[in-house]
Amino acid sequence: MISIRQVSKSYGSFQVLSDCSTEIKKGEVIVVCGPSGSGKSTLIKCVNGLEPFQSGEIIVDGISVGDPRTKLSTLRARVGMVFQHFELFPHMTIVDNLTLAQVKVLGRSRDEAAEKGLKLLERVGLKAHANKHPGALSGGQQQRVAIARALSMDPIAMLFDEPTSALDPEMINEVLDVMVELANEGMTMMCVTHEMGFARKVAHRVIFMDQGRIVEDAPKDDFFGQPRSERAQQFLSKILHH
Amino acid sequence: MAYNWNWAIFLSETPSGESTYLGWLLTGLQWTVTLSLSAWIIALTVGSLFGVLRTVPNRWLSMLAAAYVETFRNVPLLVQLFLWYFVLPELLPRGMGDAFKQLNPLMQQYIAATLCLGLFTGARVSEQVRSGIGALPRGQRNAALALGLTLPQAYRHVMLPMAFRLVIPPLTSEFLNIFKNSAVATTIGLIELSRQAQQLVDYTAQPYEAFIAVTLMYVMINVTVMFFMRRLEQKVRVPGYLGGNPS
Repeated sequence: MISIRQVSKSYGSFQVLSDCSTEIKKGEVIVVCGPSGSGKSTLIKCVNGLEPFQSGEIIVDGISVGDPRTKLSTLRARVGMVFQHFELFPHMTIVDNLTLAQVKVLGRSRDEAAEKGLKLLERVGLKAHANKHPGALSGGQQQRVAIARALSMDPIAMLFDEPTSALDPEMINEVLDVMVELANEGMTMMCVTHEMGFARKVAHRVIFMDQGRIVEDAPKDDFFGQPRSERAQQFLSKILHH
Repeated sequence: MAYNWNWAIFLSETPSGESTYLGWLLTGLQWTVTLSLSAWIIALTVGSLFGVLRTVPNRWLSMLAAAYVETFRNVPLLVQLFLWYFVLPELLPRGMGDAFKQLNPLMQQYIAATLCLGLFTGARVSEQVRSGIGALPRGQRNAALALGLTLPQAYRHVMLPMAFRLVIPPLTSEFLNIFKNSAVATTIGLIELSRQAQQLVDYTAQPYEAFIAVTLMYVMINVTVMFFMRRLEQKVRVPGYLGGNPS
């Protein structure tokens, strides 16, 4: 469903991504991890064209992201994305956050969109907050709304860019629970995260990045069992044992 | 100091006999308000447009907007007014220039002063709108785009509503300034409020009363503007954000 082929990107002389390739099949859950500055967030933003890249190509559901003729807004409407800092729209109520793009992009009627939005809010356990503004919700609640907002567009795949890194420890699980449920339902997911518990539980494959390169791309059990690269071993020992 | 205070002067008839001196001041007030409000409409429209253009990912558009801002905020207001009033009609195509000069002089002054003040203030508004957009978290734009909104839709529904809320306080200052700056229109002969004060002094030799009255009228305008802008600020306040209370 998503193929990333020899993607490279640089800011001036600084190479952010070099020669990254991987393939994500329908229904697969991929966790991308690595030290900060390794290019994982940049890579995931390239998938829906939020970050341009200089060479290589990314094909999402048969559409080339880098092709200048591709209408990126149409592509993005079909790929959900969740951000580190939630990015709900603060001046709109929660339910309006969920209906805006359904109405403006998909052309659904206001009622239809609101119905869908409320159903999704119920699913993430926040229906009672529908008429509040984002500022009145906790971080964990905001992130669950953000996931519901992405799902309201009926996406074919979901991208998560460090969805729990800005959360208080107590709120991480409520967000991960929603993500696990989504994974179990067969959603195609690409998640940049350091939540190794989540990776162990639902990921099919783990991609490890360092200095703009994909150093390791292995089935979950292989990655946690015996990471091949020394860099990945170091990384895992640092985040798992203390 | 031997000064003869005479507050009743406002009620005496003017030499022409068709009005009182207070009537003169009120006519001046009317011109000041009309000129400033029409210039403000131009300033807000043009300023918002160019403020947005400066932030879009297109080099030509943002350069165009930068050129506008730098031209209009770096040339003294008075010089700009003279250019609009005395020079521009000569530069226009013959027909348009002549048509302008055949207008009633008051109309000529009003049009030149409105355009001048509107575009001068617009350059300043543009910078504020730009800074409001710049102050938003960058992720907001990405989140809007990631949902499939086009860039214009992202501006319209996501970025501008917040950016304008952020810049209400500095925009209030600009709104107040435009009333005070409108006094430059006296230099091309428009008889607005400050000009009426001078005229009153010439006719009555009561400078203190005249300028006190005019000052109070400017204060009144400003208090009204501040009142409405404050109301607006409260009305659009976002709960749980910018000092608003969580709902």
